[in-house]
Amino acid sequence: MKLTKRIISGNEAIAIGAYKGNATFASGYPGTPSSEILDFFKEFDGVVAQWASNEKAGFEAALGASLAGARSFATMKHVGLNVAADPLMTSAYTGINAGFVVVCADDPGMHSSQNEQDNRYYARFAKIPLIEPSDSFEAIGFMQYAFIVSEQFDLPVLFRSTTRISHSLGVVQYDPRTLDNKKELKLDKNFQKYVMIPGNAIRRHKELLEKFENLKQFSNETPINKIENGSLNVGIIANGISYAYAKEILPDAHFFKVGFSYPMPIEKIKEFAKNLDKVIVVEELEPFMEEELKIAGLNIEGKKYFPQDGEFSLDIVEDGLCRAGFIKEKKSTVVFESVELPKRPPALCPGCPHRPVFDILHSHKNIFITGDIGCYTLGSLPPLSAMHTTVCMGASLSMGVGSSKIEKNEKIVSVIGDSTFFHTGIQPLIDAYVNKANMTIIILDNRITAMTGGQPDPSSGFNLNSKPFEPVNIAKFAKAIGIERVFEVDQYDYEATKEIIDREIETEGLSVIIALRPCVLMPKKIKDTPLVVTDKCIGCKRCLRIACPSIDFKNNVAIIDETTCTGCEVCQKVCPVEGAIVVKEGK
Amino acid sequence: MDIKSVLFVGVGGDGIITVSNVVAEACMLAGFDVKKSEIHGMSQRGGSVSASVRFGKKVYSPTDKLGDVKFMIATEKIEALRWAQYLSKEAVVIINDRIVPIINQIIDEDDINKKIEMLNVNKILNRRFLDDAKKLGNEKVANTVMLGVMSTFLPIENRFFLEAIDVIVPSKIKDINKKAFELGIDIAKEL
Repeated sequence: MKLTKRIISGNEAIAIGAYKGNATFASGYPGTPSSEILDFFKEFDGVVAQWASNEKAGFEAALGASLAGARSFATMKHVGLNVAADPLMTSAYTGINAGFVVVCADDPGMHSSQNEQDNRYYARFAKIPLIEPSDSFEAIGFMQYAFIVSEQFDLPVLFRSTTRISHSLGVVQYDPRTLDNKKELKLDKNFQKYVMIPGNAIRRHKELLEKFENLKQFSNETPINKIENGSLNVGIIANGISYAYAKEILPDAHFFKVGFSYPMPIEKIKEFAKNLDKVIVVEELEPFMEEELKIAGLNIEGKKYFPQDGEFSLDIVEDGLCRAGFIKEKKSTVVFESVELPKRPPALCPGCPHRPVFDILHSHKNIFITGDIGCYTLGSLPPLSAMHTTVCMGASLSMGVGSSKIEKNEKIVSVIGDSTFFHTGIQPLIDAYVNKANMTIIILDNRITAMTGGQPDPSSGFNLNSKPFEPVNIAKFAKAIGIERVFEVDQYDYEATKEIIDREIETEGLSVIIALRPCVLMPKKIKDTPLVVTDKCIGCKRCLRIACPSIDFKNNVAIIDETTCTGCEVCQKVCPVEGAIVVKEGK
Repeated sequence: MDIKSVLFVGVGGDGIITVSNVVAEACMLAGFDVKKSEIHGMSQRGGSVSASVRFGKKVYSPTDKLGDVKFMIATEKIEALRWAQYLSKEAVVIINDRIVPIINQIIDEDDINKKIEMLNVNKILNRRFLDDAKKLGNEKVANTVMLGVMSTFLPIENRFFLEAIDVIVPSKIKDINKKAFELGIDIAKEL
């Protein structure tokens, strides 16, 4: 057996663990920080990996593969599990055939998310096992183990990562060729187990409660809940990345490292705490473990010392350990105090086809713009400032439908991207038609899921395995629903786009405008001849309002950075002076 | 507990992930335990970004502690200042002398330069590495030139960096990256 030694991300480790665990099917929907898992998994021999239109569809595809006899898993970000919560809750009743793991990646600190919900509660809600690795090395082994636990208890297993697990790299050693043994399973047809009509579901619920009693005992016995003794007479109970921070700050404490965090290993923790002076819980976000311990009658504090919001860090954990009296004072402190600096928020890329749409919408005063999740959410930031809501995937259209029924003075404009439209925009589009909503829907169809790194979607014309297909045509789709006012525009043709958007906003009733210009970055980077500013520039700053990173303003005139300008010419189209911005000659 | 950290800071699109991957690989090849953090998603769209490589006998945390970072590579001046809270007094700081404009902000470069001069660390090099890279024929290797300079301060032999470049960098641009790395070592000799 020859071990491969590499430094890899948690997401790659999860894919390797799944493969070594003999999983042969995976599906999911991209979402930071979970997106790369399927990309890594698809590279292995003999596996099926595919994107689904949303997390619920991905979850159910993987559940179906499990029933058909393949170890399978679904991937999603934390909020994605809200979408897949429906099958999650009932698959806990049906159980599985071959091992089935739900991989979800939380985003404490909201690096790229709309909330920082703690998905560990889903394990409690559904009464299923919860496994959490602390780094890449553990992610491989824990993932393999998750399939075994799933089959042992006939339950889906929730495998929870966070941004700092998924997107951190760590050294791993593994044998890439040897896969775990697994039973040869056939398609399982079992009316009482898989048809959740009330008569069957009533029995399956009782069985779930019985399994849960066994899981409680299992949690005390599993080797991934482990005690690491130290020389100090204090104890720290920690999971995931919190363990890494606490261990680095206070390696001499006794540690109870929780890898199997639901149900909690109550008896083993009682044993751990018995002879220690003081024991605390270190966990990011909610007091999930703390609550379980308190319900079991253990007086162990956690959130008394540590914050309940935001991402942990070495400093935050050190502060908490100080408050708990585990350490006297911080080892290092800030030497160079922060100075006042201009903030650098993210922005739409140079050449981004979303930019002209938001510039046009910005010029309308009496509209209410419901927005959605994607790169184009950046259209809400100044100076574009052309979005009034962002809640969750697909909500632009459905919130727009509701708003349009109440608001009579301002026209409702809903803005959604192609991938988000296929995710959860289709149903509210039908609702808008059926309920005769007075709204203008703009679908920014850039043919890719750009924000998460360029995953293909139904509009791309190729799938995760680069297999081509005839792209789903959104205009035809809207017309097939019965919507009459459907228009396609190319945003680089600024005037024509503006004419149609302006006209439809003024027109009573439902209309759909599909903006077809592809993403400037993915799948191919587009770079045309750059533009330059001539001496005719009057310094009016109109071009600055389109928020292009390539445009700067110095000595009272605009300047364009040729190295980053993609030549989209949108700045030229909005410039009021003829000849002030021109395409660079000689290229 | 002797963990050293190389913090990379800059603007989304600067190539921080690649150069930090080279360092992480080199640390592993040199026999250290390594953890590395990076952030994907929203912040990559031209926002402020960072990545950190932490190495030692045994490393748990992938992220840094305030006032504790001994090595920093900054691909942009404003970002160097933004992350200065993480620097320790003994830090070595290598900065690419350039400013990436920020939408709708007028930046006072003299003020930024003054603030950089006030960074009273062990060693600081603020240099137009883009010019060095241009001389080599590819602006994009500026980060590797900076890495070459930094390598002379790190307890890792050159061969591990060169080997890491072989593993991480696409084959077409391996040679120019190795040249850039060597150039960085030469630049460090002048310090």
